[in-house]
Amino acid sequence: MVLFKEVLLPKCNESGGSSGYLPLALIMQYHIVVAVAICSAVFVDSRKIRGISLAYRKFYKEKKTFLCLDGSKIIPFDQVNDDYCDCLDGSDEPGTAACLNGRFYCTNLGFRPCYIQSSRVNDGICDCCDGSDEHDKRTRCPNTCRNLGQQERAALEAEMRAVDDGMHLKRQLIKEGVSMWQEKQNQLKDLQRILSGLQTKLEAHRKRKLEADAHQAKVMGVLKSPGDGAGGKTAARIFGQLDINKDGSLTVDEVQAGVVNLQDDRSLTEEEVTALLGGPGPADLFRFQQTLWRSLQAAKKVKIKADLRGDLGPPNEGPATRAAPSAARQGEANLKEMEEALETTRAEIGNLEKVLSTDYGSSREFLYLQGQCFQLVVYEYTYSLCPFSHVTQKSSTGAEVSLGKWRYWAGPQEHPYSRMEFEDGAPCWQGPPRTTLVTLTCGTETALKRVREPTKCQYIMELWTPSACEQQREARRRGVHSEL
Amino acid sequence: MATFILSRLEMVWFLVAGVLLVLNGVRAVDRSNFKTCDQSSFCKRMRTMGLDQSPYRAILETLELSDSRLTLQLINDNNKVRLLLELYRLQGNMTRLKINELKPLRSRFEVPDVLVGEPPTKPLSMVSRDEAGVVLSLGTDAHQLVLNARPFRLDIVEGARVLLSVNGRGLLAFEHLRPRKDTLSKISSTVGSMWDSIKNMFSSNTQKDSEGEETTEGAQEEGEEREEEEPGMWEETFKSHVDSKPNGPSSISLDFSLPGVEHVYGIPEHAENLRLKTTDKGDPYRLYNLDVFQYELYNPMALYGAVPVLLSHNAQRTMGIFWLNAAETWVDISANTAGKTLSGKVLDHAQVPSDAPQTDVRWFSESGIIDVFIMLGPKPSDVFTQYASLTGTQSFPPLSTLGYHQCRWNYNDQEDVRAVDAGFDEHDIPYDFIWLDIEHTDGKRYFTWDAANFPQPRDMLRGLQDKRRKMVAIVDPHIKVDSGYRIHNEIRSRNLYVKDKDGGNYEGWCWPGTAGYPDFTDPEMRAWWASMFAYDKYEGSMENLYTWNDMNEPSVFNGPEVTMHKDAIHGTWEHRDVHNLYGLYVQMATAEGLIQRSGGVERPFVLTRAFFAGSQRYGAVWTGDNAAEWGHLKISIPMCLSLGLVGISFCGADVGGFFKNPGPELLVRWYQTGAYQPFFRAHAHLDTPRREPWLFGPQNTALIRDAVRQRYALLPYWYQLFYHAHRTGEPVMRPLWVEYPQDVATFTIDDQFLLGRHLLVHPVTEQGSQGVSVYLPGVGEVWYDAHTFRRHDGDQNLFVPVTLSSIPVFQRGGSIIPRKVRIRRSSTCMENDPYTLYVALSPQGTADGEIYIDDGHTFNYDRQKQFIHRRLTFANSSLSSSNLSADSQFTTASWIERVLILGGQEPSAVTLRTADGSRSLEFEFDAATSVLTIHKPGVNAGSDWTVLLQ
Repeated sequence: MVLFKEVLLPKCNESGGSSGYLPLALIMQYHIVVAVAICSAVFVDSRKIRGISLAYRKFYKEKKTFLCLDGSKIIPFDQVNDDYCDCLDGSDEPGTAACLNGRFYCTNLGFRPCYIQSSRVNDGICDCCDGSDEHDKRTRCPNTCRNLGQQERAALEAEMRAVDDGMHLKRQLIKEGVSMWQEKQNQLKDLQRILSGLQTKLEAHRKRKLEADAHQAKVMGVLKSPGDGAGGKTAARIFGQLDINKDGSLTVDEVQAGVVNLQDDRSLTEEEVTALLGGPGPADLFRFQQTLWRSLQAAKKVKIKADLRGDLGPPNEGPATRAAPSAARQGEANLKEMEEALETTRAEIGNLEKVLSTDYGSSREFLYLQGQCFQLVVYEYTYSLCPFSHVTQKSSTGAEVSLGKWRYWAGPQEHPYSRMEFEDGAPCWQGPPRTTLVTLTCGTETALKRVREPTKCQYIMELWTPSACEQQREARRRGVHSEL
Repeated sequence: MATFILSRLEMVWFLVAGVLLVLNGVRAVDRSNFKTCDQSSFCKRMRTMGLDQSPYRAILETLELSDSRLTLQLINDNNKVRLLLELYRLQGNMTRLKINELKPLRSRFEVPDVLVGEPPTKPLSMVSRDEAGVVLSLGTDAHQLVLNARPFRLDIVEGARVLLSVNGRGLLAFEHLRPRKDTLSKISSTVGSMWDSIKNMFSSNTQKDSEGEETTEGAQEEGEEREEEEPGMWEETFKSHVDSKPNGPSSISLDFSLPGVEHVYGIPEHAENLRLKTTDKGDPYRLYNLDVFQYELYNPMALYGAVPVLLSHNAQRTMGIFWLNAAETWVDISANTAGKTLSGKVLDHAQVPSDAPQTDVRWFSESGIIDVFIMLGPKPSDVFTQYASLTGTQSFPPLSTLGYHQCRWNYNDQEDVRAVDAGFDEHDIPYDFIWLDIEHTDGKRYFTWDAANFPQPRDMLRGLQDKRRKMVAIVDPHIKVDSGYRIHNEIRSRNLYVKDKDGGNYEGWCWPGTAGYPDFTDPEMRAWWASMFAYDKYEGSMENLYTWNDMNEPSVFNGPEVTMHKDAIHGTWEHRDVHNLYGLYVQMATAEGLIQRSGGVERPFVLTRAFFAGSQRYGAVWTGDNAAEWGHLKISIPMCLSLGLVGISFCGADVGGFFKNPGPELLVRWYQTGAYQPFFRAHAHLDTPRREPWLFGPQNTALIRDAVRQRYALLPYWYQLFYHAHRTGEPVMRPLWVEYPQDVATFTIDDQFLLGRHLLVHPVTEQGSQGVSVYLPGVGEVWYDAHTFRRHDGDQNLFVPVTLSSIPVFQRGGSIIPRKVRIRRSSTCMENDPYTLYVALSPQGTADGEIYIDDGHTFNYDRQKQFIHRRLTFANSSLSSSNLSADSQFTTASWIERVLILGGQEPSAVTLRTADGSRSLEFEFDAATSVLTIHKPGVNAGSDWTVLLQ
């Protein structure tokens, strides 16, 4: 009849929500308990069986003597629950506070049964929702089990729904993660290809430059480098010219159509354009300014096609650059250009490899958090959590303080992905560097929900994410199994 | 989280302003912030005074003896200034000695509100009188007071034995008030005579004939011309702070010789051993209430509180000297031989072996008068009674305040409080109070709550009340100067702030920034302050909210020595005169507020950092901002012992140490020590990592839980000790010599102590300790290990091996201690629980003890005599409970659950006898430990009963 192991019964103060143990089993237990309690109503409620669970009643049958449950002592049955502790294991006083190590069983009909420490019996505080712990009547304890049961069932059901929703979202996130991962892998491959192309070219250029240098030494001195461009306006104009389809971004084709090799006016290869744009894919104005525009300004390797240049005039060139560059200068410029492109590409590869080497969970369900930041305003502070990167706190007066850099997953062994640790933030006044611990909670949205600083400069944040949902459900399932 | 940054910003602001002490990581006190004797001009003047013969002479012709009072003029033969000596014989074997200027230029401050009343006197009679002096009788026994006229000295003798000499070394000094040299003497003499006439209007003591006055005045003026001006008399600078000293020099000094005495104690507060050291090689002990940042150990520097009471002790007699003066005071102690200072008339009466040891004590204060109470003992308990008759006894605290207190700077918000509270339940550790430090307020405006972090203080307090627990919130005496702050506006509009020397409101810097300091010496201010604790005035407060007064030295971050300027004005007096009283008044007004808010029904609880003689009447004190170091743990014992000797029993040190981080071993040891000290509170600095008891792994949690539970089991005994402290003035935590006054081996012990008479505690205060050497006193006595019940002989040094879980505690053979061994979540939950009696038999097979029960929190024990006080006696194989207080009445639900007889024998039967008849009781005897356990007498703890062993 008794289907659950008592030892695993929850303590009364454990709430259903976050303990990760009970729910599914409980919903079943309600029914069991109700049924059992009704059956056994015949012999209930003498002083002698106070504080004893159904499973243990068999040990407390009215007899002449009582054997302590640890077998250590036999006492007259009169001394069971007589408010004096006889048994070392406290088993003779399940219904009183007499034994230091005793426990009292709250039946809690309508809610969930549980044990409390004996010391909580008749102490003036209502612990069992059925009020059975305060049986000396000095304290009036209303029976709140039915309400609590209803509330908890409602809360549980809501939570289960939320978990289900969360799981659904999570499956999508995993799917997205798969394609994001693939995309990033492809990016990496592209970059690596570009890198090796660049390396080959660089070799060739180096050779050429050596030759050019020799020539240059004979012919003329080194020209000063050109002044910096006038900035965005000109860049925007050029960008506008190059952006043939006016979609706000430059494709490889568009660049090939408008930009040529400085020396021989030849068209650029796809690789060259990709390198000039700092990577594959179309470039917006910003990226253009950071990459190709700089190359154009430097006028070392590429230039705008003559027919377009006519429309534009030279891109804000100083007099020095107007002079035809010597072959040596050109060689040097080309080399530098190549080296820069190589560095950029290497850096990008490095970044991408770092991103790809991070642990995003067993199904990469947390990959989607990469590159995102979540904010929460508390009082006068704005907290910003960027998973896998960093945490900051910005006060309304403007100062931004680092609360830590991404370190690792710090959850316990059974739930490694339940906590994130950020370390080595800005040092505290007279103290160690700031740290942040982020706990991940199952939710149907991704949001930073709570920030605390229990010890100065040690922050604790709560991030809600659907990706945390499975862990909870697993915990529940485990809890259920062990109780059934 | 936000407030942390705020407070840090504030600190930075203070630093930038060049104010806030030294917070730069130096881990000891910055001594340069505090004066040495050399830097305190009067101390330097006084201390360099020669040891020549005293210039003072008694003018015997002026002697007047009324029933209980003798007056006599003294004259300084160097400057002709006359002093008036008053001598009183007080009830209870005390002598009071007052010396003031006969005709001071202005009246000099006499300390009010410290004595509980005008001490009752007893008749003084003259035994003999001649040209050399007079002999007065101090009662029926051989006590006499011998007054020698030239030079002036007093000797108190008992038979042929000199107990104490006054001015034996001729160090009586009295800087008479004088007009400033650079002002017109006419003006000042006009002012002077105005003062005289005012004084005459109020004083009956100076109705002298005018003839004598004129000669005195004439002589005084003449003398003044010869008086030398010394630097620092009219202005004094310390660091950048100028003391304007408008009244000029005013210090006083007197010396006392104690023949046959080698051990003196008291004059707290110092981070010092129990036995005071001689001060010849360094500075005197200083008494000047100061906020000392990171204080040093074994040092005579002043700390937060001052009780100018010194106890002397030898195997024959214990005595006390109470120097009632609230100004900056220094005490020099030196070792001497008795023959050296004995002279004059006393030689006719008494002899002292010339090589007998002697301790000389010299007191000097910056202003006020000489007002000394000589408490003649002879037993330690007599001195406690004598001092209590003057300044009152320890307030009787609510029972719950003897439980464990969980404090931290700061619990951040209501959720934090809830979580910590729940943590105690989860880890099954009892506690009674959780505390809120300054961050709970709205910008350090006391009586308010931070709106973001404590939006619903009453909800929070109700949450605690549901668990039968309580809270203490801080209320400091510095008031933020802010026209939007009601408390400030009211104090300002009522003109109740301390004034600066120019008459404006005194302002200093403290936690809130610029702050005013209410003049707590003004009764009107105290009454108004008390009214602020009414539930409708102190928003968010409830019955289970109590108060903590910190920073009441007062602490002024930008003031000289981090306190108030001495030339600040309290009504008609300078801060100089009242300084050491300020903290007492703050706590007095606060305690009164807590009493008033309950309509006079509930006992208050107020913790204070600053204190003075008499502060015991208002609550608890703690030893201030200590550090998480083994040395600080160790010194908590002598610091609290010293306070207990001078009446302040409710003492504790921050468990864990305030500054720095304790390792788990230190923290555990500190809990174990604190559990056996009167005020048991953990506290930690804002910058420290969290250290709630469960944050150091399950093993340490268990150790701390066990220590706290030992405390709770002993609460009935603690409560009973406090009841006695309240009734008699006896210290709760006491040095061994108090109970073994003739055992010289106990005189310097301060690493172990007694709780009452019956428990001896030797906490482990050394890192990595493998064992402690415990001195068990008492020839022919026995002691029982309180944990193993093993019996040990007295009069031995016992090596006790220890583990991390050990707290060496011994119960004295011959005692009965009631415990409540059912440990609940808070002391209030234990109210109706039954008692277990621990009967520790003497070698003679006897024991006795007491049990005291009342409601635990109201004044009904006093006003309506609602209490139970019973004697428990074991003799002739029978244990009985009899009423000690026939006229009191109280009903308790508590009963006697169990009796343990330590050192017992196996009886054949055990019978309980009550008014209802007799019945036999179950019992078991453990032959290995000789412990007889008697099961369930079941009698009500308030009833008469006897248990017979056959």
